[in-house]
Amino acid sequence: MSVRAKLERRVEGLIADPDARKDEVRDQLIADVAKWQAARVPEYGRLHRQSAWPPALPTDVFRVRRIASHPPEEDIRVFNSSGTTSSNRSTHVFKDLRLYDAAARAAAKHMLFPDVDRMCLVLLAPHEDEAPHSSLSYMLTRFTEWFSAEHTWVWHDDSLDIDRFQTALGEAVADGQAVALLGTSFAFVHAEDQLADLRVALPRGSRIMHTGGYKGRSREVEPTVLRRTMGVRYGIPEPWIIAEYGMTELSSQLYETTLRDVLESISSPRRLWVPPWVRAIPVDPDTLEPVQNNARGVLRIDDCANLDSVCCIQTADLAMRIEDGIVVEGRAPGAVSRGCSLAADQALGLS
Amino acid sequence: MADEPSVIRKRAKAVLEAGGMLRSRSIEERAQWLAASAKALGDDTPLGREACETLPKETGLSDAMVAWALRTTLDTVHRDALLGVAEEAFAIVGRRPDPISFLSVVLAGNVFTASVRGIVVPLLFGVPILVKASSNETRFPSLMRKALRRSDAELGLAMDMVVFPGGDIDRETALLELAEAVGVYGTDETVRAIEQRIDKRIPVIAHGHGVSVVYCSARSLATESIDDTTARMALDLAAYDQRGCLSPQVIYVKETLRTPAESLVARLSEALEAVAETLPRGPLPEAVGVAQTQWRGLAEVEGTLVRGRAHALAINRSSAIRWSPGYRNVTVVPVRSLDDAFDSMTAFVAHIKCVGTDAWTLRELDTRFAESASWKAYVTEIGTMQTPALGAPADGRPIWEGLFRTNV
Repeated sequence: MSVRAKLERRVEGLIADPDARKDEVRDQLIADVAKWQAARVPEYGRLHRQSAWPPALPTDVFRVRRIASHPPEEDIRVFNSSGTTSSNRSTHVFKDLRLYDAAARAAAKHMLFPDVDRMCLVLLAPHEDEAPHSSLSYMLTRFTEWFSAEHTWVWHDDSLDIDRFQTALGEAVADGQAVALLGTSFAFVHAEDQLADLRVALPRGSRIMHTGGYKGRSREVEPTVLRRTMGVRYGIPEPWIIAEYGMTELSSQLYETTLRDVLESISSPRRLWVPPWVRAIPVDPDTLEPVQNNARGVLRIDDCANLDSVCCIQTADLAMRIEDGIVVEGRAPGAVSRGCSLAADQALGLS
Repeated sequence: MADEPSVIRKRAKAVLEAGGMLRSRSIEERAQWLAASAKALGDDTPLGREACETLPKETGLSDAMVAWALRTTLDTVHRDALLGVAEEAFAIVGRRPDPISFLSVVLAGNVFTASVRGIVVPLLFGVPILVKASSNETRFPSLMRKALRRSDAELGLAMDMVVFPGGDIDRETALLELAEAVGVYGTDETVRAIEQRIDKRIPVIAHGHGVSVVYCSARSLATESIDDTTARMALDLAAYDQRGCLSPQVIYVKETLRTPAESLVARLSEALEAVAETLPRGPLPEAVGVAQTQWRGLAEVEGTLVRGRAHALAINRSSAIRWSPGYRNVTVVPVRSLDDAFDSMTAFVAHIKCVGTDAWTLRELDTRFAESASWKAYVTEIGTMQTPALGAPADGRPIWEGLFRTNV
């Protein structure tokens, strides 16, 4: 068995048991995966740290380099982030989606659908056929295969199909069938702007998962305000409205804990659940070491499911630890490079 | 805190009226007054002590950096220097120039002492001035106002300040409606926004953001000079935590087999550690911390990164310049010649404010820049980039440009 196959098997072992917390096993796996990747991904191999932890590759590197342990001809899927130009769009290539699928399925089952096997899904995001390079569209399309009793896509041609959405809401109410509304945060804001005075009381057990920033796609709404607004709009208790944190550069997703906490009668603050195959730690920007206690730092995510690219990722998000989870506070305002108003990185122009 | 439009109008009117008194004094009297005002902010004065106590918190610079910035900036405001600037201007616009009646100035917040030249020079030429301070940096303009009034209560009325958030149209209108010219320090977006809103007949003296660079010849890296070179360069980099437009973002180094860029970087890193002992970096803002982690990682992937306790130097031989977030993060670009450095700079020439270089290259760079219409940067010796003389040009223009009706 190849080293990769052995590593994959160990990752699968962690994914198979989302309830387990085997931090030492996970940490050793991260170290082993990182070592294996450092020898295969030239960009990652260039990073050096005098630290107990392997170095983390900044997400910005995915904007300018192909990060993979395999040659391009073996790519079977390419995910891009939603930047407006190629220079601010990250690219994450895959030669195998089995770990991605396993991680996505296990996390969603654990946090989003812990109480049901299948239910009606309404998807406020494009189908993967419409957005083949969107990891979110890929994941949601898989959700329809894994978790849906019925499903309706209500985002087409880059806009919300408001008629279809209203019909789906109406049918859920009429049938008394719980429904999961899944989509981007900006799609839900578009829905808010178009549904006017409409209020629906979706059946008990209905839930919402929203994800992503706004990136100029709609007006920006504070998460607490969006949650409250959606709760009133759809008649869904706030704990059943959860945010997903994911990014193109990762294979795993982090979900807010509230739905699961309600089901398990746990009283804890809203936070992101970190799956057992993932390590999420805020670090100090100077030392890159974990910040002390519950201080805010720059979020580093080590995702074992990123087997064929780089496992240890330095994000550009601020975060802090809360109990056993993480609260992501998003990009720091004004996080821009100097060069002031220079629009883009400049070519050196050296001959 | 935001001053109401009525308050802004009232102050603008009072400043305009004080212009008569200001112009009734001779240039020597005004120079005397301004020099005394600078002294009133010295570190052994009550206002100077207040500045040293309050500015670190407001600016995010360390105590030592604030004290250094105050000292090096205020030291340039002395009688001879003021009269020297006047002589230089009069040589061009004539001995009886016609100053404008009122100048409004919008200040930026990245380098607090940048307001000194922006305030002192107009007053020297008899131009009363109303300053809109940056919302997050009001303390120093306020202290300057106090110093000007303590040194001469009547003349001091020719300068006042207001505070309000940028983009507030009503307040901005109140600030600008009496202005005969407007000075704008800030991002290019700020400059553009004001240019679009203002009456087209009113000149805008724009000081948009930009970058500065260093060119280092092989001679400055020789054994006998490298210590001096790197110590001076470290000061330029550390000053104001590399937040200003005069802070070098890129160091072009002409490398030879004897003096590879790596040897400069190693020595410069040591020099930066030494500077950090006397001029420590201020706390890293979160936004900068985020940008720094990305910039440093990318620099390491694309080249060589040398990290210090509070600085990082990236040697970049082949890819694009990634503008760093400042705070003592700088790119070192090895070149084969000055021509190579010029070629590289051409990509962002319009944004270059200052080029620091060694004594051996100073004249050559000056000559080359003088020959090119697109170069607006001023050339100075390494180690002095952050301490421009009072009369140093700004954005390629004389510091007094826009202050006279008969301007040339």
